[in-house]
Amino acid sequence: MMPGTRRPRRLAGLTLLLFAILAGGCGRDEPRQAYEAQFLALGTLVKVSLWGVDEDQGAAAVRAVEAELNRVHETWHAWRPSTLSDLNRRLATGETVTVDEETAAVLAEAQRLSRLSGGLFEPGIGALVRLWGFHSDDRPAGPPPADETTARLLAWRPRIIELEITHATEAEDTVWHLHSTNPALKIDLGGFAKGYAVDRAVERLRALGIGDAIVNAGGDLRAIGRHGERPWRIGIRDPRGEGIIAALETRGDESVFTSGNYERFFEYEGVRYHHILDPRTGHPARGTLSVTVIHADAATADAAATALFVAGPQDWRATARQMGVEQVMLIDSEMRIHVTPAMNRRLVFQSQPIPEVIVSAPD
Amino acid sequence: MPRAEPGISTVTDTETDSGIDDGIRSGLSRADGAVIAATLVLLVFLYGTFWGGTGAADLAHFHTADGREFSVPLDADRTLELRGPLGISVIEIRDGQVRFVASPCRGKQCIHAGWLKQGGEFAACLPNRISVAVRSRDRHFDSINF
Repeated sequence: MMPGTRRPRRLAGLTLLLFAILAGGCGRDEPRQAYEAQFLALGTLVKVSLWGVDEDQGAAAVRAVEAELNRVHETWHAWRPSTLSDLNRRLATGETVTVDEETAAVLAEAQRLSRLSGGLFEPGIGALVRLWGFHSDDRPAGPPPADETTARLLAWRPRIIELEITHATEAEDTVWHLHSTNPALKIDLGGFAKGYAVDRAVERLRALGIGDAIVNAGGDLRAIGRHGERPWRIGIRDPRGEGIIAALETRGDESVFTSGNYERFFEYEGVRYHHILDPRTGHPARGTLSVTVIHADAATADAAATALFVAGPQDWRATARQMGVEQVMLIDSEMRIHVTPAMNRRLVFQSQPIPEVIVSAPD
Repeated sequence: MPRAEPGISTVTDTETDSGIDDGIRSGLSRADGAVIAATLVLLVFLYGTFWGGTGAADLAHFHTADGREFSVPLDADRTLELRGPLGISVIEIRDGQVRFVASPCRGKQCIHAGWLKQGGEFAACLPNRISVAVRSRDRHFDSINF
């Protein structure tokens, strides 16, 4: 090599090295820490956001979450063949059904939340949900059920709290038994199963050593830890469909669940019928667009959002107190925003002008 | 169908011809010039990608029934027709937003979702197995509740 060519080559090499350092710095800084994935599960789109993991850890964690969500979905699916549909069929005949501990525990927790809600969260009305056509991925067009039909069903008073859950020791193992004397009882864990699934998914992430994550299942989420140096930032969508109505930053370990009249509905002769049924009337609950609840565990947040939606703009505070939820936002059908003081401190309203906000404590 | 993948373009190795130019004793060779120019261009690009996000340059990220995943920038108005098991879903991109305008499902929940514009929002036609999520480069929200 000629002496004259050495210096420019070395300069070129140095420049390349400089470029590699700068480019490497740019490329690795944030994106390698954050890991996101989306997939279909629980009959909706699920998004998992992780912080502080590499590509392999992220992919493994997402696979674990997906497997856990699918397991819960297949067990508790309300109308496809599942452990639950089999259970419903056998309970209706008066049979005493033996189940495992997890199944018994899930149903006992649903009973507890239903009792606290005064029956406004009522997982015993699967037959009513079916009557309205919501036991279908894609409801065929058609009228709502006749009032006589829903009234006849409600006269049976199907309530989950009447499900008998007992346990016994057989050959040193504890076995769990379920029994119902009401043939109209059809369990449907809509308003609870998604929360339970999200709780289980977060448990799986923790078992894998992940402490900073969001599991978002079709808009309902549980967030643990932080996004690096800052908290996770959540946007709450405007129930009228477009844009973000309020922002919040999560603290430590929190679930944010919203029940809205826009999630599943059908229209018939110009009237909209949504999927959140009032177990007292047998009809879609009136007066509310959406209820958002922040609570530590997702299952409670899910059931409370459903119960408070049914309670409506007049009575939600009493139900919130009974269920032990302190952070609630209810948006009524006039677009008035009702919040608890604890929720008001958390939210930063995004829309201009700032909407009418009514702050009042749970009764 | 218009499609674009976000990503970093690759740099070709400019060092291979640098040894040929031996006429320059002081200063930089043509190869050095090429490397420096490429570095500057790439630095500007990388700065824009990782620090310069203003929220205006958003992407729509699609998942389709056949397992394809791709992103389309929202800065150019266009209409996409994506095929799923039920037929064609029509998706419109306009003014930095995206929405389903037609889909062969019965429930039309994908269409009811309306315009998506805030990073993290998404809509899906589950019966036709097509979903779209909006990604914002400034990552204003990590997750959207609804």
